Amino acid sequence: MENIESTGWGRTLRSNSLEFQPRSLEELQDFVGTHESPRGVIAHGLRRSYGDSSLNIGGVSVDAAFLSDLTFQQGTGMVTAGAGVSIGTLEKASLARGLFPPVVPGTGLVSIGGAIAADIHGKSHHITGSFSSCVKRIHLLYADGEIRDLFPEGPTANHFWATVGGLGLTGMILEADLQLIEMKQASVVVEETRVNNLDEMLTLLSASDKGFQHTVAWIDLSGDFRGRGVVGKGNYSTQTSAVEKSSPDKSKDGISLPFPNIAGISFINKYTVRAFNEMWFRKPLAKGISSIDSFMHPLDRIQNWNRIYGRRGFLQYQFVVPEGNEDFLAHVLATMKDLGAVSFLGVLKRFGEGSPAPLSFPKPGWTLALDIPPQLGNLEQALNSLDSQLCARDGRIYLVKDARLKPEFVPLMYPRLEEWRTIRNNMDPRGMWQSDQSRRLKLC
Amino acid sequence: MLNAFHSPQSVALIGATSEIGQSILKALPQDNLENCFIVARDPKRGAKALAEILPDRTKLTKVGFHAEKTQSHQGIVDQLFADGDLDIAIIAIGVLGNNPDLNAAANALEVMNVNYVASAHLMLLIAERMKLQGHGQIEIISSFAQTRPRVDNFVYGSSKAGLDFMARGLNDQLEGTGVSICILRPGFVRTRMTKFLPEAPFTVNSDAVGKLAVKLLKDGQPIGYAPSILKWLALIFTLLPKNVFRKISKRK
Repeated sequence: MENIESTGWGRTLRSNSLEFQPRSLEELQDFVGTHESPRGVIAHGLRRSYGDSSLNIGGVSVDAAFLSDLTFQQGTGMVTAGAGVSIGTLEKASLARGLFPPVVPGTGLVSIGGAIAADIHGKSHHITGSFSSCVKRIHLLYADGEIRDLFPEGPTANHFWATVGGLGLTGMILEADLQLIEMKQASVVVEETRVNNLDEMLTLLSASDKGFQHTVAWIDLSGDFRGRGVVGKGNYSTQTSAVEKSSPDKSKDGISLPFPNIAGISFINKYTVRAFNEMWFRKPLAKGISSIDSFMHPLDRIQNWNRIYGRRGFLQYQFVVPEGNEDFLAHVLATMKDLGAVSFLGVLKRFGEGSPAPLSFPKPGWTLALDIPPQLGNLEQALNSLDSQLCARDGRIYLVKDARLKPEFVPLMYPRLEEWRTIRNNMDPRGMWQSDQSRRLKLC
Repeated sequence: MLNAFHSPQSVALIGATSEIGQSILKALPQDNLENCFIVARDPKRGAKALAEILPDRTKLTKVGFHAEKTQSHQGIVDQLFADGDLDIAIIAIGVLGNNPDLNAAANALEVMNVNYVASAHLMLLIAERMKLQGHGQIEIISSFAQTRPRVDNFVYGSSKAGLDFMARGLNDQLEGTGVSICILRPGFVRTRMTKFLPEAPFTVNSDAVGKLAVKLLKDGQPIGYAPSILKWLALIFTLLPKNVFRKISKRK
């Protein structure tokens, strides 16, 4: 094992840990079953969690990359996917068989293990729910080195739902059975609409959820912060011609460019963001058929785009607040304006029903995600104040995006935390599975 | 654990009645601060001062100790890590001595034992524990006086030079472990300890030193001067011929 420094996707927190890359399942089982260290073990996939969910400073990080098998079950639409397989790889392999995952996030570079551990969501949440809605079995490595199958119903259901959204703290996900949906075309019929303020955006998003499988809005976090932006809507294409136009192999829409690492310099300031956002707001609106890949994962066209924020990295502040609290969204925009917290990535979406998992993030209401550089004056105090107001409004922060939440807010945002802890302690009485985040937020 | 703003959850101030130490705590981001260990000969006095500085939610743990009783150091350090990770330790113990002649033999033992032996020993013990947790920062208060022996305070200067020397070596050894040492080299600071001495050029208040000390921690810089301009003065002092330096460094 080698001692390496790792960061989350936001690059604000750095962590030295021993990196374990098992060559076989047996080697992993032996290691976990006999490992004794107060700093414990955490699994990681593609490290797309923004903060410290996948980091384990002074402990061991297990790379799930070797869990790369994909096995499709003929005629059932079911696939058994290794925890290290990326959503993007699963999408491609599925499309070749006329299938597709019902829930995909904004990037295809999330591992299946990470997708379950964070109970990720996508643009289809108002219809499909979160990723766990398609998970029919989890193959989990426990802290005692034993492997058990967990199902969403029956005697193992409590372990299953504690693992969903459980941030890797109940065990290491090895593989999962996923129920895919039929997909004859690799394309989406897209329609974009420009809106001039937050009210228009909320109205259009609510109305669009009835007629579209996918809805999301890009919100301009610069200038006067009025909430202008572009609402994107899409339905899977049913046109035969679409298959020819955009086969899975061509779904990347050309090239994926790397973002250069120029001595850790940040390209984010009020001028660059203002110029980009103005251009993005004015861009020609998409209407018609788009490849699934470019619609679902627009940011994947630039590799390592997180470097754009330079050496100090960035925070993503993502929260959900129940409907009826639309004034809070406006308040967040006003707070960002006061702070001068310009951002080129602001995303607003309306969630549907949540999942039964105690630590799953989505719940009915509005979710807003914004990227912010951490060096802005008073940002920490301002976000703490927003968190406090969120608690009062029954809202919550997305833990897999977090790098700065105060631990006392977690039980208020996740009222079933204690229930989850009890199940988790039963699954891992030795406290083997730990992360920097679990220590920082006192989750276990 | 530190968060994305480099705000610590747990901090120890060793030498909690030190005005510079208190100024560092005052300047640290406090929004995330849950635990503060107050280590001092008279921890109640340290706690009283810090209670006014720190937020109500911060738990203050008083730890009494005598710096020169080095056999007690291990037990003190164990207490700092008993409840979990320690993010930042500030070692702010230091004396000038009570004898009007700062270089008198009567002063030297205490100055050497506190400023060098005790500070360096605690630094080594804390670094060993931080290595096990895989992270942490130790800030030590060195001095501009360690730059070059001056006629009027070479005993004090030598004690700080010893500590500074060891801190630099230790910091190199710690590379890649997640643990690091920050060396703060203040010039003349207006405090209780120095109020009997004539002020030197570039004298600063302890609050200014605290702000610079926190900047060092946040930026992960290994060495910093307070005020920053002393960095250049140190360079000049190092290059001056001996007879010229001896002449200008006589304060009396």
